Amino acid sequence: MGGQACVFYGAAQFSKDIDFTLLADEENYVRLHAALGELQAVRAAVPPFDPAALDRGHAVHFRCQAPEVAGLRVDLMTRLRGVADFATLWARRTTIQDADGTCYDLLSVEDLVQAKKTQRAKDWPMIGALVEAHYRAVHAQPTPERIAFWLRECRTPERLVQLTRIFPAETSEMADRRPLLRIAVSGDLDELAAALDAEVRAEMAKDRVYWEPLKREFEAMRFAEARGNRPPP
Amino acid sequence: MIYEELSDEWKEWLALSPIERFHESEKIFANYLAMGGSLDPDPDPTSPFYIPEESGSGPAYGRPGLRVLRRSAV
Repeated sequence: MGGQACVFYGAAQFSKDIDFTLLADEENYVRLHAALGELQAVRAAVPPFDPAALDRGHAVHFRCQAPEVAGLRVDLMTRLRGVADFATLWARRTTIQDADGTCYDLLSVEDLVQAKKTQRAKDWPMIGALVEAHYRAVHAQPTPERIAFWLRECRTPERLVQLTRIFPAETSEMADRRPLLRIAVSGDLDELAAALDAEVRAEMAKDRVYWEPLKREFEAMRFAEARGNRPPP
Repeated sequence: MIYEELSDEWKEWLALSPIERFHESEKIFANYLAMGGSLDPDPDPTSPFYIPEESGSGPAYGRPGLRVLRRSAV
């Protein structure tokens, strides 16, 4: 769901870790523990692996020690802010198969974009690149869903202006949901860039509010662990 | 940045299939590790997972033993 997914979609060239979103389910956790065992993965930070913590929105971080993947970080989450539940994500996932038959299940590009709407500055250029790569790949086959996705998520002023000119009816329909489309219609690139920045700041603020209680809990876990109340790996 | 403004390198990257990109990324990853690249997360004060005292445990330019011979002026 992270950088590796962005590589598949063409928005990145390199990622140092692997992020997974998981089905929070007893049976699946058994499979997960088996996989982590194969990777000789050890917990890299608080919190410890705890389904309840995952369900509250925490991420669990592991570092692999198996020789083929030594040092690789694996991050796990079961809940992402503003993103649909796992069953929905799974139903609309992208699956890519390698020549050897290996399958890679990715968040759909729409869900990946949603997941990237965080307080982290580095995620926002990635959203722009994901939407641009998607537009580039399928712009010759526009569907109502694709047009809505581009108008809803495009972060490049020049492309947004172009989209509003190609799809004026869809722009009108979407404008109440995304008011900056009206600026895009006017063609004022500077004003549009400022509105896009404001959109980012507003979404970052929402993400900070979401994480505030989780960070407090996270700090308490770190404090408890530092005092020797070390939870299991 | 819109596609038309991208460098040739990025255009070539986008012209690859998803699975080709994945394999190319694996090669970059291998080169990165061979050059001593660290797998520690990059320091990111804007991340909710950022812990200053647990960040930047290794030199940013690679493994111990690598050293900077020349730096830019800034």
